[in-house]
Amino acid sequence: MTTATLFLLLLLCMLTGMPIALALGIASVSTILLFSNDSLASIALKIFESTSSHYTLLAIPFFILSSVFLSTGGVAKRLINFAVAGVGHVRGGLAMASVVACMLFAAVSGSSPATVAAIGSIVIAGMVRSGYSQSFAAGVIANAGTLGILIPPSIVMLVYAAATEVSATRMFMAGLIPGLLMGGILLVAIYLFARKRRYPSQPFPGWRILVKTGLIAAGGLFLIVLVLGVIYGGIASPTEAAAVAAIYAFLIAVIGYRDMGPLRDTPWHYQGESVVRAVCRNFWQITWAIPRSFFDREVNNVVMDAAKVSLMLLFIIANAMLFAHVLTTERIPHAIAETIVSMGLPPWAFLLVVNLLLLAAGNFMEPSAIVLIMAPILFPIATQLGIDPIHLGIIMVVNMEIGMLTPPVGLNLFVTAGITQQSIGWVIKAALPWLGLLLIFLGLVTYIPAISLFLPDLLN
Amino acid sequence: MIRHYLAIVEAAIIRLLLVGMTLLVFLEVILRFVFNTGWLWMEEVTLYLGAWFVLFGVSYGLKVGAHIGVDALVRLFPSGVRRWISVFAVLGCLFYCGVLLYGSWIYLGKLKLIGLTMEDVPLPKWQGMSILFGGFVLLALRLMSLLWMLFSRQVDGFELLDEAEESLALAQEETKSTPKESPEVRMSSDVSPIGSKL
Amino acid sequence: PIEIKFSHVVAENTPKGKMAIRFKKLIEQRLPGKVKVSVFPNAQLFNDDKVLEAIILGDVQLAAPSLSKLETYTKKFQVFDLPFLFDDMQAVERFQQSEEGQKLLTSLESKGLTGLGYLHNGMKQLSANEPLYDPADAKGKKFRVMASDVLAAQFQVVNANPVKKPFSEVFTLLQTKAIDGQENTWSNIYSKKFFEVQSHITETDHGVLDYIVVTSKEFWAGLPSDIRPVVEKSLQEAITFGNQVALQKDEQDKQAIIASKKSTVIELTSSQRQQWKQAMAPVWKEFQDEIGADLIEAAQKANQIN
Ligand code: NA
Ligand code: NA
Repeated sequence: MTTATLFLLLLLCMLTGMPIALALGIASVSTILLFSNDSLASIALKIFESTSSHYTLLAIPFFILSSVFLSTGGVAKRLINFAVAGVGHVRGGLAMASVVACMLFAAVSGSSPATVAAIGSIVIAGMVRSGYSQSFAAGVIANAGTLGILIPPSIVMLVYAAATEVSATRMFMAGLIPGLLMGGILLVAIYLFARKRRYPSQPFPGWRILVKTGLIAAGGLFLIVLVLGVIYGGIASPTEAAAVAAIYAFLIAVIGYRDMGPLRDTPWHYQGESVVRAVCRNFWQITWAIPRSFFDREVNNVVMDAAKVSLMLLFIIANAMLFAHVLTTERIPHAIAETIVSMGLPPWAFLLVVNLLLLAAGNFMEPSAIVLIMAPILFPIATQLGIDPIHLGIIMVVNMEIGMLTPPVGLNLFVTAGITQQSIGWVIKAALPWLGLLLIFLGLVTYIPAISLFLPDLLN
Repeated sequence: MIRHYLAIVEAAIIRLLLVGMTLLVFLEVILRFVFNTGWLWMEEVTLYLGAWFVLFGVSYGLKVGAHIGVDALVRLFPSGVRRWISVFAVLGCLFYCGVLLYGSWIYLGKLKLIGLTMEDVPLPKWQGMSILFGGFVLLALRLMSLLWMLFSRQVDGFELLDEAEESLALAQEETKSTPKESPEVRMSSDVSPIGSKL
Repeated sequence: PIEIKFSHVVAENTPKGKMAIRFKKLIEQRLPGKVKVSVFPNAQLFNDDKVLEAIILGDVQLAAPSLSKLETYTKKFQVFDLPFLFDDMQAVERFQQSEEGQKLLTSLESKGLTGLGYLHNGMKQLSANEPLYDPADAKGKKFRVMASDVLAAQFQVVNANPVKKPFSEVFTLLQTKAIDGQENTWSNIYSKKFFEVQSHITETDHGVLDYIVVTSKEFWAGLPSDIRPVVEKSLQEAITFGNQVALQKDEQDKQAIIASKKSTVIELTSSQRQQWKQAMAPVWKEFQDEIGADLIEAAQKANQIN
């Protein structure tokens, strides 16, 4: 009864066209009022908790800020020119390069939406410019972005490791082959798709052009080096690296390339200007430009764009957490999981049901919340049935990846909608064909344990 | 005129919160890595800035059409029906605001009564969290203004992204093979129709 | 029936998780149909910061946050964070059961909370990516601390830098060596996987990390007089059971960490431990006024077996 009300209300509210965040909120609040003894104050408490105590989520606004500076400031344009020069002659080459970029980025960030935010806003624009359809580009990126929680390190895996006491290192190792495999599947699919659709391939422009575009794009390319370096060099966590990336993106767009902001149309070097004079002038102008940026119309517009997308996402997440809170207090996931457990299934059927359950849960809840609730319930049964806990963990993570792409709570969908300025329906349609691939991949991972267990077993 | 300045101030506060949060985390990294030091209050302030950013910004997001929703179904209805559906939807949202306003009033009142302070910032906790109430006041005001606009037939929905228009553009794009305008350009220029009226 | 929601932030197989389940079982045996206990592990309902507020609001009836979470409620709880105050867990136990220790439980009543008992986790150890033998080894290193002024001061007096970071970030920061070390109990170092990313753990036993079982004053006072004693007795039994499990687990996890060979465990000689103790002694003075000299003295007394 409670469950039915909750989901029915959510569906009804969403179909009126109201903001998704509010639909989640209304469904949760009404369910609490109707069926629970929880106080209204506790709802307020939960909303504040959801907006104020998830440090890792701050990576989202930071990466969005950095990507808005990159894409508006013409940095993205230069990066894309370089990428086109490099891989544009391969059919589907740019899309493939984007997937590789997602995999690289996924390797450093523990978060899928952050991966989409960071890579997506640059490469989707680039692919469209090179003649791909926007829906193809968006679909590829929304999917490749889910690798963020599969390729280690991963926040979700850490949560799983903590909930089940398996080794985090083993978990991370187990994610590597599946991550690479999924990336590989995407690459092959893109190649076949690009051939079938006859996506254009430019002639190779020659090494000279390649190097030249590369040098011009160096300021933007350095961002990837910076983020990776900052994390692996032991300087900062992924969330902090996101803030560093935002500051760098501002500097490169406003001070470096000067496509926007207070130094627009002020070249680094005027014709006939002496070097000493240019250095002094630039020193003075740059120092002065930084405070001026706070009042610069163009810079402010860019920051506002990032703010709009970020607060929309964070407010959805806050209400999704409230929704999950209602599910939890009403013990809905527990009840379903316990039913499954009591059915006494053989391992293969158990895994099938687990997948169905997790896929359903992934539609409505956040990955970490699902793992925290489900892992402790499923883990002992899996152990009894002889299923390796690490294997179960990877299955859960892949399910969570799919959950990122399914409405109503699919973070990658929202981020993609935010950066492409398209509707949710449009993004769902764009991501759908690729979701099929993920499902096949889930089947592989579920029934071939070696994919997950080969590496951790090898190193033990 | 006053409204105009309020809108400017509102936008500036939102930007400041986002930039402040980013600068604070950046500064923390610099302090820790370069100067091998740090201030303990930074984490708490960052997190509170994050909460202020979201809760203060939500109503502004409604004004500029930043929130995403699924409006594929309501668009199948004629404008009049759509308006009525939207009226009910806005009433639902106002109900949500009401619950949260009531809830946060009690919650913050209790925190004030007990006299809790924040962890590292010497401020009463209820003051640090006051945006919980304030944010939903703002959201309720915006919703009421939207309700008025629905009644006076200025709009007939939440005016989120126009799905039909987008798919039309998509269809054109699929047939044309020439590169089209990249979405990054649209990103900085969009202000939905509702934004200019609210 | 009366519903008791027990919300905690750790897994069900931890001492605290087992204690909660034991309490639920005892209540269901003794008060069938009258009291219903629902346990929510893994911060499913609220995190440790918010759970106390949820108790005050009446949405959660029982929780067991770590003692340092109470420091924003009353500074007296800082006593448990003072470095090298207790020699071992037996001393901690003696202090908690003493008159002063029990008085602390009721000191929260003005804030609407009632402490019902102490639940052990264990003594804290120092881990780092380099061996720590004496206080000088900690100099210039960055240590993650939980939200507590005392814990921050404890690292500042040995010229180390306390860094405050939420748990979700700590593992990565330790792994990439952006932070050099942290302090925790054996069982937390084991369950949170810190031993996999820290090369050395020094067995300092320099502080205690225990929990307090709290309820709402209003809820507790409102329990019918035939029910409250049964709940209280069951809770005490569950706590005793949980504490036994904690002691075993502490040793068990320490051995598991040693056996894993992923981290080297350093045992201190008594003179080395004395050096640490002396180096951190100024922290006591610093917080003496806030905590109360008599409370510190009472805690120290617990080190002597009488
Ligand atoms: Na990752
Ligand atoms: Na989903």
